[in-house]
Amino acid sequence: MQVKSNSAQLILLVAVFVIATCGLIYELVAGTLASYLLGDSITQFSIIIGVYLFSMGVGSYFSKFFNNSLLSWFIRIELLVGLVGGFSASVLFVVFPIASSFKPILYAFVFTTGMLVGLEIPLLMRILQDKVEFKELVSRVFTFDYIGALLASLIFPLLLVPYLGLIRTSLFFGILNIFVGLYLLKKFRKEIKSAKSIQLVAIVILLAELATFALSESLMSWSETLAYNDHIVYSTSTPYQRIVLTRNRKELRLYLNNNLQFSSADEYRYHEALVHPAMSACDQPKHILVLGGGDGLAVKEILKYPSVETVTLVDLDPAMTKLFSTQEVLVTQNNHSLTNSKVKITNGDAFVWLRDNHQQFDCAIVDFPDPSNFAVGKLYTTAFYQLLKKALKPEAVAVIQSTSPFAAPKSFWCVSETLQSVGFIATAYHNYVPSFGEWGYVMASQKKYSIPDTFQIPLKYLSKTVMQQMLNFPEDMKAHEPLAINRLNNQALVNYFEEEWGKYLEQ
Amino acid sequence: MKRRKFIQLSATFAALAPLAYSCKQQHKPIAGSIIGASSNIGHLIRNGKFDAPIVTAVVDVAIVGGGISGLSAARWLLKNGISDFTVLDLEKKMGGNAAYGQNDVSAYPWGAHYVPIPNEGLNEYNDFLVECGVVTGFDDKGLPILNEFYLCQDPQERLFINGQWQDGLIPHFGVPEKDKKEIQQFLHIMQEYRLAKGKDGKDAFAIPIDSSSNDVDFTNLDTMSMKDWLFSKQLKSAYLHWYVNYCTRDDFGTPYNIVSAWAGIHYFAGRKGKAANADYHDVLTWPNGNGWLSEQLQNPLQQHLQNNALVIKVFEKENKVVIHYFDVNTKQVKAIQANHCIMATPQFVNNRLLVDNTERKEIVHKELSYAPWMVANIIVGKLTDKTGAPLSWDNVLYESKSLGYVTATHQLLQQNKTINNLTYYLPLNELQPTDARRDAQKMSHADWVNLILEDLKKVHPNIEKVVSNIDVMIWGHAMAQPVSGIIHGGVRKKLQASIGNIHFAHTDLAGISIFEEAFYQGINAAKKVIATKN
Repeated sequence: MQVKSNSAQLILLVAVFVIATCGLIYELVAGTLASYLLGDSITQFSIIIGVYLFSMGVGSYFSKFFNNSLLSWFIRIELLVGLVGGFSASVLFVVFPIASSFKPILYAFVFTTGMLVGLEIPLLMRILQDKVEFKELVSRVFTFDYIGALLASLIFPLLLVPYLGLIRTSLFFGILNIFVGLYLLKKFRKEIKSAKSIQLVAIVILLAELATFALSESLMSWSETLAYNDHIVYSTSTPYQRIVLTRNRKELRLYLNNNLQFSSADEYRYHEALVHPAMSACDQPKHILVLGGGDGLAVKEILKYPSVETVTLVDLDPAMTKLFSTQEVLVTQNNHSLTNSKVKITNGDAFVWLRDNHQQFDCAIVDFPDPSNFAVGKLYTTAFYQLLKKALKPEAVAVIQSTSPFAAPKSFWCVSETLQSVGFIATAYHNYVPSFGEWGYVMASQKKYSIPDTFQIPLKYLSKTVMQQMLNFPEDMKAHEPLAINRLNNQALVNYFEEEWGKYLEQ
Repeated sequence: MKRRKFIQLSATFAALAPLAYSCKQQHKPIAGSIIGASSNIGHLIRNGKFDAPIVTAVVDVAIVGGGISGLSAARWLLKNGISDFTVLDLEKKMGGNAAYGQNDVSAYPWGAHYVPIPNEGLNEYNDFLVECGVVTGFDDKGLPILNEFYLCQDPQERLFINGQWQDGLIPHFGVPEKDKKEIQQFLHIMQEYRLAKGKDGKDAFAIPIDSSSNDVDFTNLDTMSMKDWLFSKQLKSAYLHWYVNYCTRDDFGTPYNIVSAWAGIHYFAGRKGKAANADYHDVLTWPNGNGWLSEQLQNPLQQHLQNNALVIKVFEKENKVVIHYFDVNTKQVKAIQANHCIMATPQFVNNRLLVDNTERKEIVHKELSYAPWMVANIIVGKLTDKTGAPLSWDNVLYESKSLGYVTATHQLLQQNKTINNLTYYLPLNELQPTDARRDAQKMSHADWVNLILEDLKKVHPNIEKVVSNIDVMIWGHAMAQPVSGIIHGGVRKKLQASIGNIHFAHTDLAGISIFEEAFYQGINAAKKVIATKN
């Protein structure tokens, strides 16, 4: 008899250990998640620890109301902890983008877990009170409790977050709780009423958590909210890219593959600088080519010129142009430019399109993503610019968005050099776009660029004085070394870009 | 030739088959088939008895074999005003080792898939490259400007080594300093050889090989193996040895322990081309590999090309050359009577076709050996990849038995290539060629698929899930092996000599199987024909 009760004691103490570990893990998960999603980690951790400890106190208080079949209650609570704690991270990730008030849900989770864990220790002490001398009991229970806490606080940052991630960590410990519950059920089957139904519930929860664990990867990518500070109002994956729209009180932002494309607050600065210098350098431009720019914002600027007869827009992604032709919030941004009768949209690869093209244009706006990989890097090569040259009338002007001359001066001037190497006169300029930082553009033409006396279109940003400033490059935006020409067979630009922007991404 | 016995020791290839069998259950069946280079038709010569020809056509020149040598010979005849000729080939398409395939995704090579930047002074070859738009002009210094769409795009090469993809094929990632030093030392020697000239003033290592210097200081390198040469220079780094062995297997289908040191060095030192927009280490390539160049050669020749024609006998008769061939379409034996015949076929085939010439046949039998290859075209969706350098044109796995794969879709301009053709190369050089050929014939499609997937799984863990088709081509006699003694031992000279009006043109007479050699083999044979007319 003595032996048996000893083993029962040990089992229950191990249960304390697991509970303590799991409890602290859930608290840490909640704290980390809150600081990820809401920012301000000191506040988040502080509040969560406070709420958690307080709720444990609440749980302890309520423990006195449990009078009968304590072991059975203990197991039920254990299962409940496994359910609530286990799913906590998954649920919080999923509800974050859709719930308007995230914080109450977060604290409700923390409170519930804390209360349940707070119930368990007193219950356990009462279960064991007849079996062990009181001073031994207190000593053992709290020893295991605090050792469990230490273990949790060590493995959480060192092992769990880096290898499992938050969702799987909480699920893993949920599963652990359920296992403890099931084991206790089996061990003390005779002492528990309705053991069978409890067991059934435990198995259902266990399966659900295992399934979620297996699917956690897709769950994680679905709830990608971590990357964004604002609320996501729309997101979709196309075969070509991930399109995400976020909004806060001030602005609407578009991200393609997590890179900011525009912010409604200052996109006019970018698009005016991109479009109008080139357009105003052409005499009565009629036929305009836009490569990239599926958001229709450059087209909006182009359509301000009464001389324009056609705009040919070539963008890779049909989902993108469709979105910006139909979605209400977005067509307000681009002033319905993509559905304008002058605009013809082709969804295809710009390089291939240009190779097969025979038409010649008066002006070309080239607005591709930054050359961050070899696939996009091709669109900045001599081969591409030679084709572009063929698609332009002799008096035409083209402009290339050319990344930031401040963050990536070599990349920026490499575009300029490459344009020159195929026989263009390159005119580089830059401006400040608050959401991007200092941004650069290069005009390519056959004749030298001269600033017009007036920009005939009413503009918010651009003027003769501003244009003069834009053409002026301070020393810290110059390359200071001879640069390679970007060719298909060296992709020099991608290497410059990686080298220069890499520094920013590491932070 | 005795050196070949060394490789008998390494019977790893024999171990591949059971390995493949044991893995059989792990893979779902993958679509595709084994495509032979018409070895079944070819073997008819070895086995079959043929009827007497039913008709006889008369032409001025008959060219047997429509590989690059044969096509180049034909082109040269046409350029020099001779238009009464026919090119016969047993395959459905001309091109020989420059064969290629085409599927919904893209064209892809079945064999040779690139040419280096053309060396200076190869006027005929440069003319051809101008003709087909590979060279678009010349800069102020007279350097050719190469068509950018045909220069291999960046990223060109990567090597999976020490758990990561590194940029370029020369091992450096995780390689100890000591080894790096030896590799640099080796490359330095190669650079010296690249610039070296013999006492006769000729380049020590030139393309075509026959224009190289005869200086014994260099030709002596042909008497030892590449491996022995490395040791003789105190170059012992395992990384360097792997790299050199990879290179000789890649270009010659022959491991470095039997390849001639002269040929091995030629791989590095023979290429010294310069262009306005490229350097000697760059290459020209197309989705269909050298099939593109073969098509350019064929374009003006269309009416002279006769496919599905298996030549079975070539002999001299009353100052003419008579060619018997089996028309695969009509299943009839036909004859051609020609003033000249250019045999642009490998010498082991000529041994079957020529009637007499016992002495010649003995030399061929004794001296020449041909490396068997397996080439596979793999259609894949989006692959998971190990970290490091991104998918490149040439993707090589350190210490793999294969040579890795070439991305056939690399040269396409499209941004998003969700489906790719990967062309996987495996020289079967772990056994003697005859044994390797025999074993290769025993392998089923599933066996090859298992072997390929086991290899590529190391770098693309999800390949089994995203592969949709694997076609396999077995080249029984892909290329002559430049083992010691072949290049400068006098064998080639004997075999290059014409027999009456029968002339020979093939890379096995050059010693190494590269496009430029085939191109000049053809021109030289054509020149012999033209010389008799003037």
